[in-house]
Amino acid sequence: MRRALVLLVAALTAGELGAQALRPTGSASLVTARVRSAVPAGIDQFTGSAFLGQGALAMGRVELSFSYLQGTLNPDGGSAGGRDLVEGTVLLGVRALDWLTLEGGPHARAYTLAGSTQRWLFWELRARAGTAFVGSAAQGYVELWRALAADANVPEPFDHAQGGEVGMILRLARAPLSARVGYRIDHAVLGGGTRLETVDGVVIGVGLAWR
Amino acid sequence: MTQSGHLTRLCVLAWALSAGAGVLAAQSSDTLFATGVRAYKNLEFDLAAWLLRRDVTQLTAASAPAAERAKGLVYLGAAELYRGRRDSAVAVFRRLVMLDPRYRPDRLVFPPEVTSLFDGVRLQIKTVVVEVPRDTTITPGPGAFDIWLIASSFQTVEVTLRYADGAPFRSLYSGPVGDSLRVQWDGLDAAGAPPPVNRVVLRVASRAQTGELAGIVQLPLDLRLFRPDTLPWPPPPADGQLLPERATSGAAKRSLVGGLLLSGAVAALPAFVGGTDTPSGPRIAVAGTIGFAGLLGYVLHRPGRPLQGNVRANQTLRDAWQRQVASTTTENARRRREVHVVVRAGEATAIQPRGP
Repeated sequence: MRRALVLLVAALTAGELGAQALRPTGSASLVTARVRSAVPAGIDQFTGSAFLGQGALAMGRVELSFSYLQGTLNPDGGSAGGRDLVEGTVLLGVRALDWLTLEGGPHARAYTLAGSTQRWLFWELRARAGTAFVGSAAQGYVELWRALAADANVPEPFDHAQGGEVGMILRLARAPLSARVGYRIDHAVLGGGTRLETVDGVVIGVGLAWR
Repeated sequence: MTQSGHLTRLCVLAWALSAGAGVLAAQSSDTLFATGVRAYKNLEFDLAAWLLRRDVTQLTAASAPAAERAKGLVYLGAAELYRGRRDSAVAVFRRLVMLDPRYRPDRLVFPPEVTSLFDGVRLQIKTVVVEVPRDTTITPGPGAFDIWLIASSFQTVEVTLRYADGAPFRSLYSGPVGDSLRVQWDGLDAAGAPPPVNRVVLRVASRAQTGELAGIVQLPLDLRLFRPDTLPWPPPPADGQLLPERATSGAAKRSLVGGLLLSGAVAALPAFVGGTDTPSGPRIAVAGTIGFAGLLGYVLHRPGRPLQGNVRANQTLRDAWQRQVASTTTENARRRREVHVVVRAGEATAIQPRGP
């Protein structure tokens, strides 16, 4: 699966890397995150805020993006203790069309529990579409992803996982700054539905892009 | 030499010439002239007159230069005078003055009887020679077409330009002329406009002191007007160059529809990915923000809203066009003033009034 993903990206990016300048972008966001873990024994739900840093290096139509999220979640009720949330992605993508980017790569997530740490590793394929809808100032985007494979240190076998993000980026006319607001959600199903893990939240951030 | 001796020699020469007519026809005018002058110098005036008359006739038929004909005529006049034919001498000298009013017999060659008779004839004859450039271009107004009048003797002249049918076109000069006179035409008609015709006639009428018309010299002038082409008007900015000055409905609809679609996508995202048990508050907040942005975009880009940037860009284009129009107008006005008249002179003809 991983080999197929690498081959797909290589085929799409062939011939695009020559004589192109690197275009870096970066953003910092505040995420109001909520984690909901439903197992037959009960439902654990945590909410909190996290810092999300994202960056990308683009060369021609090829893009290497990465993100890192870290925050602390507090239980909404019940006896479960607070847990730390750490998440990271490294994705290699290609801009297939002016408004469409396809990406693939690993997505790791870890909850630090009181006694142990749950580690999740998804191999994802993502599609991101974006276009301006209020003049050239506001760009809307829709991102959907699906896990092609996953590895988690939980007893239930992995079934499937998918997620998405929808939002809006406001760009200032003559400055490289941008503001972003969006909603994101991940949903993983394990053990034929005996375990459901959902992470969602609102993203509010500012970005910087060198053109 | 006796009179009978002259006649005998003349008869012999006539026989010889008639016998060798073919040879004589081939004889050059120079030979006739030289023979005539030699006969004149040998005081054989009958022979000289006969030879010189033939010489002048040949030169006139061949349209020889006036200077060559004048040489023959002055010797012929002198020969006629010494033959005792004063009237013939006066007629020859009259013809000489008409041919070239500037001509004066060489006083070292001809005796006072000849020169005084010639001067007397010249003072009686009122004629002019008109000298103009054959082909010249002038600018009407500031330019000038020079006309030189060389008079045989003091006289009064009227210099006019006339239409081909004889109607007056422009009066140039009326007054006395002694030896010579330069008259100028500025290339305009009597109203101060460029000539509306392609041909006019320069007419110089000479009058004696009594006011009697003594002669007319006419010269046709072919005129050609050259007006530089004017520049075409610069085309106004094409529709494709002008930006729309009013917002169309496209941007407004895009804002509204885009905002609604994105808001709907935010609201429907959990259901799409399968996570249905999610609180709706944060999602509704994000969906509302995006929807509000779309609505705001619709207001900002409402149809018919003036697009000031495009208005300014279009005005800059129109101003540039107006400047080009003004520049072209100025240039065309300058070119319209730059009219040239090409004047080509024809052959002069002299008209002598009939005697009483």
